[in-house]
Amino acid sequence: MAVTGFLTDSTLCIGCKACEVACKEWNDVPDDGFVWSGLSYDNTIALGHSTYRHVKFVERTPQTGCGGNASERMTWEFSSDVCKHCENAGCLEACPTGSIVRTEFGSVFVQPDICNGCGYCVVACPFGVVDRRPDDGRAFKCTFCYDRQKAGAEPACAKACPTGSILFGPLDELEAAGERRIAQLHAAGMSDATIWNPKETSVGGTHAFFLVRGDPRSYNLPPNPQVPATLLKQSWSAAGVAAAAMTAVSLLAFAWGAGSKQGKRIR
Amino acid sequence: MKSRIPDASTEGRIEEIREQAALGRLDAKGIRPPGAPFPEANAEDGYYGLPLLKAPVWTWEVPLYFFVGGAAGASSVVAIAAQVAGGSRALVREARWIAAIGAAASGPLLVLDLGRPERFLNMLRVFKPQSPMSVGAWTLTVFAASASAAVLADVIGLRRIGDAAAFAAALSGLGMATYTGVLIGATVIPVWAKHARSLPIHFGASGLASAVAVLTLRGHEDRALNTLGLVAAAFETYMGIEIEGANDLESEPLRHGPTGMTIRAGGFFSGPLSLALRLLGMKSRRARRAAAASALLGSLITRIAWIEAGKASVRDLRPAMR
Amino acid sequence: MAENHPVGFQWVIEAREKNGAKIIHVDPRFNRTSAMSDFWLPLRAGSDIVFLGAMIHYTLSNERYFRDYVVPYTNAATILRKDFQDTEDLGGLFSGWDPEKKQYDGKTWLYEGAEPKSGGAQPGMREEGGGHGKDRGGEGQDLHEPHRDPTLEHPRCIFQVLKRHFARYTPEMVEQSCGIPRERFLEVADIFTSASGREKTGAICYAVGWTQHSSGVQIIRAASILQLLLGNIGRPGGGIMALRGHASIQGSTDIPTLYDILPGYLPMPSQDDDSLAKWIKTHQSPKGWWFNIDKYIVSLLKAYYGEAATPQNEFGFNWLPKLTGDHSHFGYWLDMADGKLEGLFVMGQNPAVGAPNAKLERKALAKLKWLVVRDLVEIETATFWLDSPEIATGELRTEDIDTEVFLFPAASHVEKAGTFTNTQRLLQWREQAVEPPGDARSELHFMVHLGRLLQEKATDAPRDAGLRGLTWDYPCHGPIEEPDPEAVLREIHGWRIVSSRSGGGDAPHPASGHPLPASGAKDLTSNGAGTSQTEAGVLAEKHQSKSLREVSASDPSSLDALSLARALAPQRGERVAEGRVRGPATPIPTATPIPTTAPIKNFSELKNDGSTACGCWIYSGVFDGENKANGRAPKGKYGHGWGYAWPLDRRILYNRASAAPDGTPWSERKKLVWWDESKGEWTGDDIADFTKGKRPDAKGSTDNGGDDALPGDAPFIMHPDGVGWLYVPSGLKDGPLPAHYEPLESNQRNELYPQQVTNPAADRKERPDNVYATSPDARFPYVLTTYRLTEHHTSGAMSRTLSHLAELQPELFAEISPELAEEVGVRNGDCVIVATARGEIEARALVTARMPSLDVQGQRIHQVGLPYHWGGRGLVKGDVVNDLLAISEEPNVRIMESKALTCSVRRSEPIVAPLE
Ligand SMILES: Nc1nc2c(c(=O)[nH]1)N[C@H]1C(S)=C(S)[C@@H](COP(=O)(O)OP(=O)(O)OC[C@H]3O[C@@H](n4cnc5c(=O)[nH]c(N)nc54)[C@H](O)[C@@H]3O)O[C@H]1N2
Ligand SMILES: Nc1nc2c(c(=O)[nH]1)N[C@H]1C(S)=C(S)[C@@H](COP(=O)(O)OP(=O)(O)OC[C@H]3O[C@@H](n4cnc5c(=O)[nH]c(N)nc54)[C@H](O)[C@@H]3O)O[C@H]1N2
Ligand code: SF4
Ligand code: SF4
Ligand code: SF4
Ligand code: SF4
Ligand code: SF4
Ligand SMILES: [Mo]
Repeated sequence: MAVTGFLTDSTLCIGCKACEVACKEWNDVPDDGFVWSGLSYDNTIALGHSTYRHVKFVERTPQTGCGGNASERMTWEFSSDVCKHCENAGCLEACPTGSIVRTEFGSVFVQPDICNGCGYCVVACPFGVVDRRPDDGRAFKCTFCYDRQKAGAEPACAKACPTGSILFGPLDELEAAGERRIAQLHAAGMSDATIWNPKETSVGGTHAFFLVRGDPRSYNLPPNPQVPATLLKQSWSAAGVAAAAMTAVSLLAFAWGAGSKQGKRIR
Repeated sequence: MKSRIPDASTEGRIEEIREQAALGRLDAKGIRPPGAPFPEANAEDGYYGLPLLKAPVWTWEVPLYFFVGGAAGASSVVAIAAQVAGGSRALVREARWIAAIGAAASGPLLVLDLGRPERFLNMLRVFKPQSPMSVGAWTLTVFAASASAAVLADVIGLRRIGDAAAFAAALSGLGMATYTGVLIGATVIPVWAKHARSLPIHFGASGLASAVAVLTLRGHEDRALNTLGLVAAAFETYMGIEIEGANDLESEPLRHGPTGMTIRAGGFFSGPLSLALRLLGMKSRRARRAAAASALLGSLITRIAWIEAGKASVRDLRPAMR
Repeated sequence: MAENHPVGFQWVIEAREKNGAKIIHVDPRFNRTSAMSDFWLPLRAGSDIVFLGAMIHYTLSNERYFRDYVVPYTNAATILRKDFQDTEDLGGLFSGWDPEKKQYDGKTWLYEGAEPKSGGAQPGMREEGGGHGKDRGGEGQDLHEPHRDPTLEHPRCIFQVLKRHFARYTPEMVEQSCGIPRERFLEVADIFTSASGREKTGAICYAVGWTQHSSGVQIIRAASILQLLLGNIGRPGGGIMALRGHASIQGSTDIPTLYDILPGYLPMPSQDDDSLAKWIKTHQSPKGWWFNIDKYIVSLLKAYYGEAATPQNEFGFNWLPKLTGDHSHFGYWLDMADGKLEGLFVMGQNPAVGAPNAKLERKALAKLKWLVVRDLVEIETATFWLDSPEIATGELRTEDIDTEVFLFPAASHVEKAGTFTNTQRLLQWREQAVEPPGDARSELHFMVHLGRLLQEKATDAPRDAGLRGLTWDYPCHGPIEEPDPEAVLREIHGWRIVSSRSGGGDAPHPASGHPLPASGAKDLTSNGAGTSQTEAGVLAEKHQSKSLREVSASDPSSLDALSLARALAPQRGERVAEGRVRGPATPIPTATPIPTTAPIKNFSELKNDGSTACGCWIYSGVFDGENKANGRAPKGKYGHGWGYAWPLDRRILYNRASAAPDGTPWSERKKLVWWDESKGEWTGDDIADFTKGKRPDAKGSTDNGGDDALPGDAPFIMHPDGVGWLYVPSGLKDGPLPAHYEPLESNQRNELYPQQVTNPAADRKERPDNVYATSPDARFPYVLTTYRLTEHHTSGAMSRTLSHLAELQPELFAEISPELAEEVGVRNGDCVIVATARGEIEARALVTARMPSLDVQGQRIHQVGLPYHWGGRGLVKGDVVNDLLAISEEPNVRIMESKALTCSVRRSEPIVAPLE
């Protein structure tokens, strides 16, 4: 099975949220609350236990004469966010039940019949993706439409995307396509177009990566995400030190107490 | 005509934004003062300053578990140390009992916190060394089994087996007392991750202090207990100083806001106050008991504070965006 | 377009990405479409004609027009009458204005040499007719050869008239009136007008941002002028795309839910049309395709009334209801408000939220005796008596309302089969995916069974004759007796009635399919003495149409049923075996005759003698052998084989214009259809929207009317002169050329015609419950415009009720600029009250620079934008924006002005409900 991925190209995204809705339809995801945010046209706000696709609306002051496709100025960019399906996935490593697995498509999948809702994946995802659904108790995130992919279909979000902003396909092909697209955009004068894919970090790259204009940070795409695993060594060493110290101190304390004149008891 | 009556559910977020705006703290970038009211996303503030990371979903059971499990684990260590290094027999027995009871309480606490408690056994489907939660689950299992075996064997008079079990309990108890530091340290929560190195020691010391405190309150007067309490309190004092001195972004929740206050409170009870009382306790039984109470309280507050600090930590986007 | 036609917008993106097309977006606010465009020009709502007029002016004055196209393919060279006077001459009015009647007499607008049709019929000018039932192109004038000056120099030729008319639509005027800086305008004008000529084309897409104005039709007219000048009509990559609304809203104009047309754009008869012959005379065009209108109406009547439609009774023409006045939505709704209506069916509409002056509309419902609502959900319209804002305010009291409300659950589009006709005129068949739940039924089910019940109740009274005569035996199947929608499509496609058999009752209904290769067909063929069936038909058709016209023309007074019947009878005798078709010469058989039918290929086989039936002539061809709407195998560049585009699967209308007059493509790059000399026919990537065998150098026949009268280089076959109309000589009620008028509510001067601020022909419908602000009005200093959001659908009935959509835009908001926010002391997220002369509503303020303030006429003007999707029911609720709007009527199509009015904005303290 080929490793598949998503290249989400914000220069092609019209912010229609069809991906969000298609995902919810296909995966039967409940609503996320009917709360108006006041933040551009984004009332979804973030990925979460009941949002696997989230279209961000990165808004700047527009200028008469310049549309959003004008190379000199980015004005209103839309970018459809999703679980990154990390090469080194914090959630997967953290999951104590083995509920989170890597599928034959290279995606990171939470098995709903295994997850016991321990919540540990939540604090292990460097992108704030997976979350526990309060009324259900289990953790949820993008499934990468494992069921659809199994059946040879593309994910619902990619299928619904009218403009091809969500490109789905074999990961290596997508990476090449991303390079070509960047070259094309740069040639068209859109020098602020970049690809965000944190390959150099401990995440080791993502299977869902993004083409955006401007600084990826304004899309909440972190420049330097780290998987918790990088901390394991130091933390376990510290635990070892602590354990050793505890043992030593306890032994010493009793040994000293036992050997002292006052005997074992004070007073 | 006003047909729409906003209520708490629709007003929630907007009220939050308003409050922050009123305080001049623009955690949520939805609101700017008039004149510049338009929210903009930019590199500095990220996506409208909205948090990237998800807050821990854990509720009260988890800090309580940290507390109980830590005390129980440390207790089993104390028990074996006392046994090996000449502590009183009563103390050894009681420490074993504390470990066993603590272990027995830990399980349910952990299960209760699960979103799907009925699936707690799934924790033992796999063993994943790279997952502190998995390591912890197995540790707790071994600990609970050995700590209870230790007391049970004692009761039916199988001393050998009891001792062996106690040894196993102490080994796993070391894990119990410290792994929770790794558990939260090796995460993406900035304030926890920043302290991944010190948290296991911090929690270990805190566990030891509470184990000792319980034994003290149970009336054990072994001198070693006060010594241990003293050492733990000294370390906790040191931790407090270190936290106060940390001026990195990640540690802000430890020093500011409600979580800062809680951390401080926890630190005060388990650090300086305990230390002072333990010092006095070299002479005074009362002071020792007070120190024990203070340490227990401090230990519990500390765990709660750290969990809450973790939740506060995700609200600050900046660390994640560097 | 990205907002409301996101799926269609993918092609715009594709053009941008693959062909480097430049996208220009002209919209008061920066929306999702602007975000995908190369240029965004914010303009003051309601100033589009200034903008487009200036584009036309730019095209003319910089010689950007495509002369080789303009001269032969448009009426630029046509010379106008001497007595025509322009708005430039009369200060904002055209000649012919009658201030008493408040309407134009369009006589002086005709071409030179033309006289109004004998009998003075000017159907386009009729009070009761709307724009859909308007002039068919030649209705205004009698047949004649227009006077032309191909040099375009004649001072009264349309080209010169255009130049003068648009002379003051300058970039400076754009700056003054639209608020678009001059340089920005010039930049865009240069780019757009360069998409012209042999190698290049440009397209214009519009929707209700242009139509919902008091001069809406003229805005589209202005765009048409521009596109004709640039040679962008009938060519690949060109055109003016009306982006239509609901899934089959195109279908619902083709087979109309409108009051003023019958299927296939046949005008609804008015009370003046007391006979079929008179109707035909009024609406038949001497030249061009509308010459065939008699065949279409007779075939339609045959489809309606079947055997009961006979030449003696003019095929039941007088059973059709007649227009007696303005029966548009607003017309009858105001009547309703005045208590003149007893009952109402509301099917697939939610006027309590979606219609302007919604308060008036809701209150009018309380005047009804009964109301039937068929909908997917319990909409605000169905519960006006229970929880409307008027109940809350006490204006209506439930116990005082006598209206009996029947709410019927409707099957949704996935629960029934049928077609959608999309924006591109493409009929696409939809299979039923699931059974409708519970009592939900399709519209077809409801109408067929309702019709059946009504027919059962029909009495012998003369007024019930039509009801009795209606062919209403659609085959129904299954446990719920669901009518077969394909049977309806077959009826729409039409058939030939080849014989009548005495009724045993075993012959299938024509609509039920498998038309029998009846003996009649054989008779006909053998009778034709060697000529094939179709040939015979065509011959007879020609002969017959001509004679009918001759009869009509020779003696108008004799145009009663009998003379019509007489006129038809001999020809029928000539070509059809005696006794096969009922006519005056044939005694009516005693046994009930049952027609057997033979298939037709398409509307070219329709006849005016009652031997064919067709439910909608433009769709005829869709069931040629098989259900072509169900085609799922697209081939070629234009996707033939997927669905069926009317007429005759032509994908681009008027595509004869894609070739030069000599029949060769304008260029290799832009070729579409062309003349193939070897085959002697038009060929190409599309099916030619032209008579297949008509040579490019063919001369128009002088003795034949209709299409034959048009030459081989006249692409606009629907028009009597065969050319595209830069200037509309008849058919529009507010002038032959677009002129800028301010919206009915405006705080701005009319910079172009200071004496004539608003469209004189627009109907304000002003009354105490439908009041207007004055122009200017200090109480309402801001411009208000309303629109849609991608996340919701129109009245919100289908989106506020679904969590997946409702959560995406949970609250009504008003988009205001940071400047306006500061002026009224409002912060983002505050609640504001937006008020107009009609009422006020509450909304969140979404403060955004995407809704810019503009410099207009030396003033800073602020615009307020409101999406209008909220109402009192559903998962998310909000005030009804349409309470702010007035009911007003654009003169031609009677649409309201929802895109430009005036309002005020103030801060409101949110009332927070006490926590329980
Ligand atoms: N998602 C979604 N899609 C829909 C619908 C829906 O409700 N939701 N409705 C369907 C229907 S019924 C229809 S009719 C179509 C309508 O489709 P559109 O015409 O696209 O609908 P609107 O959003 O009402 O108006 C379009 C734009 O006109 C702008 N505008 C306002 N005033 C003016 C003006 O004076 N001049 C100019 N140039 N622009 C102006 C508005 O800012 C808005 O961006 O959409 C159809 N598609
Ligand atoms: N202020 C302002 N007002 C406007 C506009 C604007 O731009 N500004 N735009 C105008 C325009 S263009 C339009 S089209 C109107 C739309 O206004 P409406 O037509 O009144 O609104 P919809 O919500 O589209 O109503 C369609 C109804 O049909 C129901 N429905 C859906 N499918 C079926 C079916 O198969 N059978 C039956 N029986 N019912 C079905 C839906 O549940 C819904 O209640 O609004 C107009 N009003
Ligand atoms: S983005 Fe988060 S949830 Fe998704 S695979 Fe990576 S770590 Fe797991
Ligand atoms: S919540 Fe579920 S998926 Fe997440 S770590 Fe725990 S068991 Fe694994
Ligand atoms: S891949 Fe599937 S689950 Fe993931 S966002 Fe797309 S539709 Fe949703
Ligand atoms: S469906 Fe495609 S175009 Fe629409 S918001 Fe999602 S990514 Fe963007
Ligand atoms: S709702 Fe249907 S008609 Fe409208 S854009 Fe989407 S696919 Fe097209
Ligand atoms: Mo519409």
